[in-house]
Amino acid sequence: MHVQEVWHWLAAIYLFLGGLGAGAFLVAAVVELTGERYKQEFCPITLVGSTIAGPAVGIGAFLLVLELGAGLREPWRIPYMFTHFTSVMTWGIWILSLFVPIAFAYGFLEVMDTYPKAWIWVTGKLRFKVLKRLPVRRLKRIMAVMGSVFALATGIYTGVLLCGVGPAIPLWSAPLWPGLSIPLLPILFLVSAISTGMGLTIDMTATISQPETHRRFHSLPVIHMTAIGLEAILVGLLLYSANSLGGAGAMSVNLIASGHMRTVFWIGFVATGLVYPFAVHAYAIGAGKHSIASGIGSGVGIVFAGLMLRYLILTSGMPPVL
Amino acid sequence: MGEKISRRDFIFSTLATGALFAAGGGASAVAGGKTSSKVPLKAKYALIIDTTICAGCGACRDACHQRNDLPEGMSYIRFCAQDEGQKCLPVQCQHCADAPCAAVCPANATYHTPQGVVLVNTKLCVGCRYCEVACPYQARRFNEEVGVVDKCWLCLDYVLSGDKPACVQACILGARIFGRQDDPDSKVSQLIDSGRAKPLHPEFGTDPAVVHYIIE
Repeated sequence: MHVQEVWHWLAAIYLFLGGLGAGAFLVAAVVELTGERYKQEFCPITLVGSTIAGPAVGIGAFLLVLELGAGLREPWRIPYMFTHFTSVMTWGIWILSLFVPIAFAYGFLEVMDTYPKAWIWVTGKLRFKVLKRLPVRRLKRIMAVMGSVFALATGIYTGVLLCGVGPAIPLWSAPLWPGLSIPLLPILFLVSAISTGMGLTIDMTATISQPETHRRFHSLPVIHMTAIGLEAILVGLLLYSANSLGGAGAMSVNLIASGHMRTVFWIGFVATGLVYPFAVHAYAIGAGKHSIASGIGSGVGIVFAGLMLRYLILTSGMPPVL
Repeated sequence: MGEKISRRDFIFSTLATGALFAAGGGASAVAGGKTSSKVPLKAKYALIIDTTICAGCGACRDACHQRNDLPEGMSYIRFCAQDEGQKCLPVQCQHCADAPCAAVCPANATYHTPQGVVLVNTKLCVGCRYCEVACPYQARRFNEEVGVVDKCWLCLDYVLSGDKPACVQACILGARIFGRQDDPDSKVSQLIDSGRAKPLHPEFGTDPAVVHYIIE
């Protein structure tokens, strides 16, 4: 029994940051494009979501470059990585390269929009007067749409990267259901990305700075619980589907559920990232209010579990026995 | 100014995103087109490993390590433990016709020669190791000293000058048979055509073209 030894915790962090940044951006974009952003001066959801997205994915991409062998010593080889479109990694590099600038631009505009004095200061420092007349709100909407396309692509890409190895790691390419040819991991990683994005922007941030957020958006806890529930179902399906493959797939499931990784799985992921947040949100609906401690606690748990999920899947991947 | 996005802005944003995708695809098609990896229909050579003769002595593994001047403990040949009857299974790059390592490489560093041998252009490799994790035979090796991934290259310099790969020369029991697959009278062709020598785990779908195994 031997797990893959190629990609470790650094890759787990990079995949996690990609998902978190994409999810945070998507949440901010939805709030922006539905007009909810402008019902108040200060919207912590869009502020945090938009400013975290670019740096999170950017740092993740930087970590990817750090992982390269010859690529670091001979950086002129890196442009070649943009050329081979049969490779999912090439697709990913394009998606990240386009998403990160858009996310940074959107984050910058959101900060300027939230703090008009900062915008006045910045445009005062710049020589081009035309910037003072920039249609900030219009630009933000355009960035939100474009960025959302790339954010979705980023969220899906992290899963496609892993299942792209096909028969080499059965756990990663397990289908949605035995016999189907739809891979499960891209769906799971996208749902996880959205869930961690919501955990960060809503649970962790809005709960602190604007506790009335939950009162105003009654559907938020329900949406959150749906995402958590969906993630739970997809993880269950992954274990079932991989186990049905037998061989290395079944051995990977064994490792996760009852073997070496069981503590990380049951405590670090299931309890912290699924059961606790779900229970806390259900209680909040019943009690009619959200407490600050449970809001932050739930958010931290979801974000932490997002990292644990990627770490688990990476380190439990096993090649087939020959 | 309304708070929801206008139809015009939405259409513009979507078209701009599409244009970016198209530009990316176009640029890569132009750049990637120069180094296409056209897969030949059949490999010219075959390397047959007779596991009924192999004793697992490791001479082939050591010869490969020496020939390629690899770091301590590294070889492009490894031995897989078998439970049912066979003593040992030496595994190396199978030189697949549908090589996943060639497809997943973002830098297009892995390619097929006209003889159907899969090679790595180590001057393009960035060391991302995607090929290493994508090979179902786990045949690829990351060389930490140079930061690139390489593998069995069939000692193509020996082969093209009429000689045999180092591992074949090193096997004193005669468990490794090398020859021309495009010659129907060769020993390897006879073993393959009779069905005695078969690809390993064809269900992986990678179509191993060069390496075949006699299992019983």
